[in-house]
Amino acid sequence: MYAVIALAVGLAIGLLTSPTVPDWLGPYLPIAVVAALDAVLGGLRAKLTNVFDAKVFVVSFIANVLVAALIVFLGDQLGVGSELSTAVVVVLGIRIFGNAAAIRRHFFNA
Amino acid sequence: MSDRAPVPPPPLLETLMRDTLDPGYQRAAQRRSAGEPTPSPRASRNWLAAGTLVVGLLLAVAFTTTRAGHADANQVRAALLADVSRAQAQEAALVASVTALDDEVRLAQSAAGGSGPLAQLAVLEDLAALTAVTGPGLRITLNDPNAATGNGAVLDRDLQLLVNGLWSAGAEAVAISDVRLRVTSAIRQAGGAILVDNRPVAWPIVIQAIGDPRSVHQRFISTPGFGRFSSFVQLYDIGFEVLVVDSVTLPAAAAVDARYLETTSSTSGPATTPEAGTATATGTGAGIGTAAVTETTAATTG
Repeated sequence: MYAVIALAVGLAIGLLTSPTVPDWLGPYLPIAVVAALDAVLGGLRAKLTNVFDAKVFVVSFIANVLVAALIVFLGDQLGVGSELSTAVVVVLGIRIFGNAAAIRRHFFNA
Repeated sequence: MSDRAPVPPPPLLETLMRDTLDPGYQRAAQRRSAGEPTPSPRASRNWLAAGTLVVGLLLAVAFTTTRAGHADANQVRAALLADVSRAQAQEAALVASVTALDDEVRLAQSAAGGSGPLAQLAVLEDLAALTAVTGPGLRITLNDPNAATGNGAVLDRDLQLLVNGLWSAGAEAVAISDVRLRVTSAIRQAGGAILVDNRPVAWPIVIQAIGDPRSVHQRFISTPGFGRFSSFVQLYDIGFEVLVVDSVTLPAAAAVDARYLETTSSTSGPATTPEAGTATATGTGAGIGTAAVTETTAATTG
């Protein structure tokens, strides 16, 4: 419940203030979004399987964002280009799909 | 087989597909069930609220940023299009005012007495394609069905050949899609577009020429340009139509902006008859440096 309220408050703040993102942060925003979706779905699945832990949720989310950003940054610096961000998106995307499938199974038993 | 045999590591892709939940959750649950001290419900509620707040903020920021980016690109595009059309309108207005002012100048000149040097000036202006002209002639319509896709068969050199054929057949004035050809005009190609005097002309291209219709037509048919386009009709399905028209009107061409040439102070007085081949260009050795050209040699006798 608190989570939903906090999510709504965060969305409202972001939409109402619409802060400008500095240019150097631009490439990391999509990665952070994918990491955020992964954290939300993972947390939801953990909640449904009764293993949820708030600290794990926050720490894993922030760590995933930072590591993903670091990978993309390294890729940019070393000339790998956007390939490494593709890798991040693929890995996190697989996790998102897996968690979404688990949540679906939990709700629909199918 | 001993039980100390190394356990092969789980295949990467398999674990990636199977262990989609962060292992930290499982470990935390194990710690809880083992009776280790857990953070207070209040603290974990704060953790959760903070985490989801950040997630929500991130998603909203990404959303607004993406939307703003799209809006920016659209705005820039619209602004550029507006700039282009404004510049085109301005160019058209300027061209119209140039034509009107030229007409005014000519009226004033003829009011001042249309004889002597002024009559000669009028002849020279006609020859330099500085006046709009009208007369009988030919209208050639070219259509390349594949030009829009960039696979057009007609190249700039084909048009050059065709127009040179018109000149050699005795045409006195030629315009391509309402761009009047002058002495320095170039027909070029940039990608799939044909540029006449650096102005893009759209297909179908209409070439109009003024001259004695019968003789120009007759001689034009035997030029290489005509032959080439006749074969294009059969080979590439090019539309090529030559019509004799009683009256065509060709616009004036823009004046050559003389940036480098200067008139020499001629002591022999104004030449009475402009003659071809009397150019006395004195190069300064600087390549395309300033060249002095006598005034009367800018045009050749028709």
